[in-house]
Amino acid sequence: MKPFNFIKAAGGTQTVKQKKRTGRFIAGGTNLVDLMKKHIEQPEELIDISGSVPASIGKKAAGIRIGAMARNSVVATNPDIIAAYPLLSKAILAGASPQIRNMASTGGNMLQRTRCPYFYDPTLPCNKRNPGTGCSALTGDNRMSAIVGWSENCVAVHPSDMCVALAALDANVIITGKDQLTKTIPFKNFHRLPGNTPEQDNNLPADALITAVEIPGNAFQKNCFYLKLRDRDSYAFALISVAAALHLNGTTIVSARLASGGVAHKPWRWYSVEQFLEGKQANAQVFQQAATLVQKEIKTLPHNVYKATMLQGAIEVALQNCLNA
Amino acid sequence: MKKAHTHSRRLFLQTSSMLASLAFIPRSVKAFYLETRNFLVASKKTGSLAVSVNKKLYTVEADTRTTLLDLLRENLQLTGTKKGCDHGQCGACTVHIDGKRVLSCLTLAAMVPGKEVTTIEGLSDGEHLHPMQQAFIECDGFQCGYCTPGQIMSAVACVQEGHTHSVTEIKEFMSGNLCRCGAYNGIVEAIQKVAS
Amino acid sequence: MQPFFEATDYFPADTDGRVEAMAKVTGKAKYSAEYQAPGLCYGFFATSTVAAGKIVSIDTTLAKQADGVIDIITHEHKPLVPGLADETKIRESRFGLPVFHTDKIYFKGQPIALIIAETLEEATYAASLITAIYHAETHNIDFELSHPKVALKPDGKERGSLQAWQQAPRMVEAEYTIRNEVHNPMEMHATIAHWTADNKLKLYDKTQGVNNVQRTMARLFGIPNDNVEVMSEFVGGGFGSGLRVWSNTLAATMGAMQVKRPVKLMLSRPQMFMLTGYRPQCWQRVKLGADENGKLLGLYHQGRNSTSMYENFSEGFTRECRLIYTVENLKTESATVPLNLSTPTWMRGPGDCSGDFAIESTVDELSYLLKMDPVELRLKNISNEKDPETGKPWSTNYLSECISRGAERIEWKNRPTGSGQLTDGDWKIGYGMAVGMWGAGRQNASAGIKMQKDGSILVQTAMTDIGTGTGTGIQNVAHDSTGIPKNRIKIELGNSSLPPAPSQGGSTGLSSITGAIAAVCNALKQKLVDYATVVDNAYKGMNIADLLISETGISARSGNAPSISFTVLFDTNHIDTIAVEASAGPGDERQKFSFCSSAAHFCKLRVHTKTGKVKIERMVCTVDAGKVVNSKAAANQISGAAVGGIGMALMEEQNADNALGSLLANDLAGYHFAVNADAPIIEVAFINKPDFNSNPSGAKGIGEVGIIGCAAAIANAIYNATGKRLRDLPITPDKVLMG
Repeated sequence: MKPFNFIKAAGGTQTVKQKKRTGRFIAGGTNLVDLMKKHIEQPEELIDISGSVPASIGKKAAGIRIGAMARNSVVATNPDIIAAYPLLSKAILAGASPQIRNMASTGGNMLQRTRCPYFYDPTLPCNKRNPGTGCSALTGDNRMSAIVGWSENCVAVHPSDMCVALAALDANVIITGKDQLTKTIPFKNFHRLPGNTPEQDNNLPADALITAVEIPGNAFQKNCFYLKLRDRDSYAFALISVAAALHLNGTTIVSARLASGGVAHKPWRWYSVEQFLEGKQANAQVFQQAATLVQKEIKTLPHNVYKATMLQGAIEVALQNCLNA
Repeated sequence: MKKAHTHSRRLFLQTSSMLASLAFIPRSVKAFYLETRNFLVASKKTGSLAVSVNKKLYTVEADTRTTLLDLLRENLQLTGTKKGCDHGQCGACTVHIDGKRVLSCLTLAAMVPGKEVTTIEGLSDGEHLHPMQQAFIECDGFQCGYCTPGQIMSAVACVQEGHTHSVTEIKEFMSGNLCRCGAYNGIVEAIQKVAS
Repeated sequence: MQPFFEATDYFPADTDGRVEAMAKVTGKAKYSAEYQAPGLCYGFFATSTVAAGKIVSIDTTLAKQADGVIDIITHEHKPLVPGLADETKIRESRFGLPVFHTDKIYFKGQPIALIIAETLEEATYAASLITAIYHAETHNIDFELSHPKVALKPDGKERGSLQAWQQAPRMVEAEYTIRNEVHNPMEMHATIAHWTADNKLKLYDKTQGVNNVQRTMARLFGIPNDNVEVMSEFVGGGFGSGLRVWSNTLAATMGAMQVKRPVKLMLSRPQMFMLTGYRPQCWQRVKLGADENGKLLGLYHQGRNSTSMYENFSEGFTRECRLIYTVENLKTESATVPLNLSTPTWMRGPGDCSGDFAIESTVDELSYLLKMDPVELRLKNISNEKDPETGKPWSTNYLSECISRGAERIEWKNRPTGSGQLTDGDWKIGYGMAVGMWGAGRQNASAGIKMQKDGSILVQTAMTDIGTGTGTGIQNVAHDSTGIPKNRIKIELGNSSLPPAPSQGGSTGLSSITGAIAAVCNALKQKLVDYATVVDNAYKGMNIADLLISETGISARSGNAPSISFTVLFDTNHIDTIAVEASAGPGDERQKFSFCSSAAHFCKLRVHTKTGKVKIERMVCTVDAGKVVNSKAAANQISGAAVGGIGMALMEEQNADNALGSLLANDLAGYHFAVNADAPIIEVAFINKPDFNSNPSGAKGIGEVGIIGCAAAIANAIYNATGKRLRDLPITPDKVLMG
């Protein structure tokens, strides 16, 4: 690691004032420390926000508010979350390991960087790590890469499971800007597609701090499922993941939510499939038809053609499992 | 920014080799030299830390970069906590902080003051082994032993968390601890034994 | 019939565990990077960023400015190692990679500098500041593209002729590929090097053989063997990666010489993928012919594996097909393919593991062609009586019994005879099996015993225990041989100053050392008889078989010799300790017999048809390993090997970018091996019949056979479930789905 100053955050809105452009906030550290050891991140100063940013989880009139410092394991096992947002709990438990979930914060999880192997090796060209050097994965090994929303400049995928559920549940990200003002960013606008600036993972303004996530109330408690497919049974990043949630009236689908990890630079919502499902009967035949719709949206790379088939199957299975939940 | 960096780097390298052959260094050159050096080569930052490990308080002067894992192994000579990857990918460095299992390799030592760290050395109660340690012996839950301290710390937490209802559940909640010897049979058996 | 070791009730009676169990569960066991030395400083490698070419210059200016840096070793700034002084000596040294003694770059990730600093943080940061200019040359790491260009050469003696069976009524032929696999023991290779005097070196080194390290370093530095002491009391896994002496040992030693302080050097996990060997990728083609009744008529096995540009490493995967079945016509050919990667090395079940995947997949395929049960097909062709290669009788070989018992255990009768027949919703269920064999070798080894006045003994040998339970095996054999209670037998291992022993590898460790233990126990008994004779003449000329050793003293099994307490025995002879040493090794029996360990692996799994997910429900491993000296550790060995086999079959693969000449995702998040959830509770059983020709304990090695055959059993089960014959390891979900 490159040497750095270490300071504790002042707390409240003062924290954002402390941050210099060359500094970084540290919460759980599970991704930042890893990247610093690889010299991919080289902050001059770390501001420890673990003791000052809220970690509480509280019901709100229109939903629930999760403090940005709430650790992943705390969120996943919180009774209110399990009761009202089981999809979020399931998604979190599909990610990383118990130890990492005990450390990782809600805010930090959203900011974790891609696991694209080219990004992770500082000796290799990568636009995300070193803009202008080219995307090695585009022409190289892209078995794990994106199948939707990618650009010639970057085919990396977002690694989070938690964020796939938050995307499906239409969460909002609460931030404090450098100007100390509180703003809300809809989750679907939080992460971004690579375009010509793949070095930017998200739309969090410079030096701003995530303080909480809010999820509106929903009717998906009974029928939701998180399916994660990976190269081993646990403790691996997704090849494909699917967060599926259905609001049923009898056997009729009132509304549906469907999002995926492992497919794009951001957690990806399949809006067209959701629309198709609304008003339809919840049965295997409908799910099968629905799953085929994603094919129109995706564009595979030479080594990840399988993802088209796997995704379709995964959506079908995830929807089916919503009924078994 | 990038270009300036490259430029100053080259200039620095040239001047530093020139400096070596000069008997008298003009003040302005020296100032430039130091400034550039500090930009290219950061000086280490240290601070005094009071860290409680196994209910014993250690006050150490530590580099801000020092992880809890390296603090334990290199500074405090508590080598029971193992380094298997140093990047949060194997679980060998698992310790408890305030009773919860975490990875010491991804924990900066600077973030630990005020918390209680428990390592494998602090698990047993004096002469008496923790039931999980005893169970690992009886069930032969290891081979080479290198991942074992991490497995045991994780297993203790697994039982405390209540994730022991089935073999499948134990296996899932112990999957953050890799064992290359593949002693998973014995590890699961040991946890079942303690849980019952 | 021996009972199976049930999953939940392994070894109920024995709660003592291994001799080193207490040290391992309390964290007191010290591995090589965990020792202290006065003035210890830290080393870290900076490595090449190109895959081929020459170093033009290395710039250490910035790194030297970093805090705490003591010195930086490069090929231009180093203590010259006499054994690597010039090109000829480098070649003769057979050391492999001559770090810091060449400007040539053979692969990306090759060490180009060793930074030595006061702390680990300082060393790793300074390493990031090192830059080098290279004269880069064209690299090649593309095995798939390169291997067809390398001509195959005969490998082993041809049996019969190829022509004789080209009209065989049943014929199967196919190609198989396996990607690079990496040992990745949980402990990264590490060395603490300490020059205690100008020509005296002390090393704490992660290795499977301290005497090998001792000899190698003595030779390289031109000092007597006795001046090099190597310690490796606890070894955090090996699987073959510790059978050679690697660059970390040499570099740490050079560093310590340079800065005149002890240096600790632990490889990073990414460096483990390049600097300590791996199982090389391979291509194989197998052609197998049989008659209508399933009698094998001929086998043609070809293969190539990758190697490095600076050494030749041949896997030897055509050995396995010569061991198992009676085949009159057999031809094998192989070749190695040099690439800009580091040198591969032996990895658990080397050669045979890869070869077996191809052979046992082919045999399975033949069974479907014949519409014959694969169990029956194997039983029909296994060479039960003699080694088909040498014609010598097997000393013991219970492979057929392994198969029968394994089939019974997994309820093979429930297996659908055709593929794709058993369905559960979106899941398809299948059964598969395969067998594996491994030559049961034995080497010369020695051991010593020191008996104290209280009658307790310390058994010593330089052999390491990499987790296999060697120490416990030694204790058990010493107890059986002397009658001394186990709690009065201490074991000391892994130090080159102890009686020499071979490296622990190739499943020969226990087989080699138990002979020495039996011999040294006899030497102790003889010594006790001699000393007893001084006390009482009735002991004169007593056969050591008649000597009894108790907790308090010695006595005679029969006759009129009185009991003598240890106190009297030692005092009368004016001694404080009794020290004996003995060696033993293979003898004439190796001329008369062939030796093997064998195993049958059975698998029941399910395959999800819509996502490609494979879930292994049951693995049953039945093993002929002679007499089982330590049932608990032995079952652990086999189940652990099966977990390795699951990894080999389903997930282990070192990715690389051919254009960039670079490994990819070389860490434990990118290189997957099986986690706890991937493996079912592995069911293990032993035939447990002794082979006393093998060694006095009757045990045969088990380190390798546990994995040989696993991958094929799993691939065969996937075929049985889905009808997809997948011939490219690892069988990841995408291959299952698209296959």
